[in-house]
Amino acid sequence: MSVIVQLVVSGALMGMVYALIAYGFQLTYSTSKSINFGQGELVMLSAFVSLSLINTGLPYWLVVPGGLLFGVLLGLFVERAAVRLALEQKGEGWILLTVIFGLLGFSAAENIWGRDDRPFPTPVPSDPMHFFGIGITPLEISVAIGVLAVMGMVELFKRKTLLGKAFEAVSADRDAAGLMGVSATRIIMLSYGLSGLVAAMAGILVAPITTVGPTMASALILKAFSVAVVAGLDSGFGVVVVGLFLGALESLASFYIGSGWREAPGLILLIMALALRPNGVFGKASIRKV
Amino acid sequence: MLVVENLHAGYDASEVLDGVSLRVKQGSVVALIGANGAGKTTAMRAISGMLKPTQGRVLLDGQPVQELGSARIAKLGLAHAPEGRKVFGPLSVEDNLLLGAYSRLPAFFGFRGKAAADLARIYELFPRLRERSQQAAGTLSGGEQQMLAIGRALMANPKVMLLDEPSMGLAPVIVQEVFRIIKRLKQAGITLLLVEQFARSALEVADYVYVMEHGKIAVEGVPDEIRKNQRVLEAYLG
Ligand SMILES: Nc1ncnc2c1ncn2[C@@H]1O[C@H](COP(=O)(O)OP(=O)(O)O)[C@@H](O)[C@H]1O
Ligand SMILES: [Mg+2]
Repeated sequence: MSVIVQLVVSGALMGMVYALIAYGFQLTYSTSKSINFGQGELVMLSAFVSLSLINTGLPYWLVVPGGLLFGVLLGLFVERAAVRLALEQKGEGWILLTVIFGLLGFSAAENIWGRDDRPFPTPVPSDPMHFFGIGITPLEISVAIGVLAVMGMVELFKRKTLLGKAFEAVSADRDAAGLMGVSATRIIMLSYGLSGLVAAMAGILVAPITTVGPTMASALILKAFSVAVVAGLDSGFGVVVVGLFLGALESLASFYIGSGWREAPGLILLIMALALRPNGVFGKASIRKV
Repeated sequence: MLVVENLHAGYDASEVLDGVSLRVKQGSVVALIGANGAGKTTAMRAISGMLKPTQGRVLLDGQPVQELGSARIAKLGLAHAPEGRKVFGPLSVEDNLLLGAYSRLPAFFGFRGKAAADLARIYELFPRLRERSQQAAGTLSGGEQQMLAIGRALMANPKVMLLDEPSMGLAPVIVQEVFRIIKRLKQAGITLLLVEQFARSALEVADYVYVMEHGKIAVEGVPDEIRKNQRVLEAYLG
């Protein structure tokens, strides 16, 4: 029994990271009906940049904001270079362009940092503490706290500031928001910046657990995408629930069926979601064109 | 003051507006009437920048704005309460009103304080909105949503306000209520361009009237002249 609980808890904590990346998908989807298909590379590059910052001897409390800032800038860059023009032309070009930017990011990482996985040092200890017979490491706890903190902050921004309400207004009705003087272009830019921020946070949080390498986020991103599709790309805290659920399921599958089956639940979930509600993916309009 | 000169606009291939010219003087109420599909809404959209005109000029207090796009035109003091109301459904009534004043409020902190006096004024005009201030706008009735759309536009303290078919789809009692509000706006000196299907009621509040047919202004004049015009009488006031 306690093995199951242990598996569920550890898995669910990992699922929080899927939830965070999925939340980043929602941020841009809600404002622009587009997402960055190179988001996994954004996660990975932010982790690499943070690692480089650590190696320059910068203290950890400065590394985190540095890595986050990099994520924001990269998110803004992707919006400007790959998304804005396609959206202005009401086309689907952003799909291919963000995929290409992801591939470029991947090559860049291989060339700059090499193909090896590297450890990511952290001041948070990884010796498990025991609660009711279940071992949880402070590192895992820091992941959960980090995820909830950054999501909470973005939600507070959306609800408590006027700019955040403008963000919600663009998500609800872009044309009407324009009539209020809210520039949808600016808000979409902002949403890509925030999406880059949460993706970078995800990278910094998982890096000590997964190590840092060019492929560190490829499995992660697929599962985050499953979570976003199942929970709904529009918005809502469904991502946390689905993320926890998927993380727990994976951990159980890899223990009871075999570690090779770790990726299976995420894929099955995605296939089921696509089969049951194809409109959930890109909305009705785009699915026709794609 | 709003001046529209030779405005052309349309959707993709089809041109709807075929050279519309009109003016709305400071402090006046101007009615734009015409049959369904004449292009009234298209004209409103082209004026407020929701739709980019292909030709012609829109002058707001003398400044040409036709190239600017809706967000910048709104910042310059033109508020448009669009056809179909278009309130922000998931947001609260109060948030909708605050967004109406977006252009002149601070983006992060202190916006509530700065908007308090204007909010109070709107709530006085629409007591129902005060009662429902924390409710999601999408859950309001059609009439309440229309009041919210008008209130939201007023929150901008606009130089010119466009109001497109405020009575559309509302019960007769509510339509009367809407016209009472429009009269109060007129008394308050709001500069208003009003599109209405209830041409008779529109003529009662208007200082000047334009009649639109097939994307053009067919007839114009003060309400008394329009009432005497046989063709308009048959088509719209019958
Ligand atoms: N979004 C749109 N796309 C294409 N055609 C439109 C659109 N909106 C209106 N039209 C067309 O433009 C013409 C004028 O419509 P509109 O401006 O809504 O008229 P009115 O407001 O006077 O009823 C109509 O023929 C209508 O079919
Ligand atoms: Mg209309």
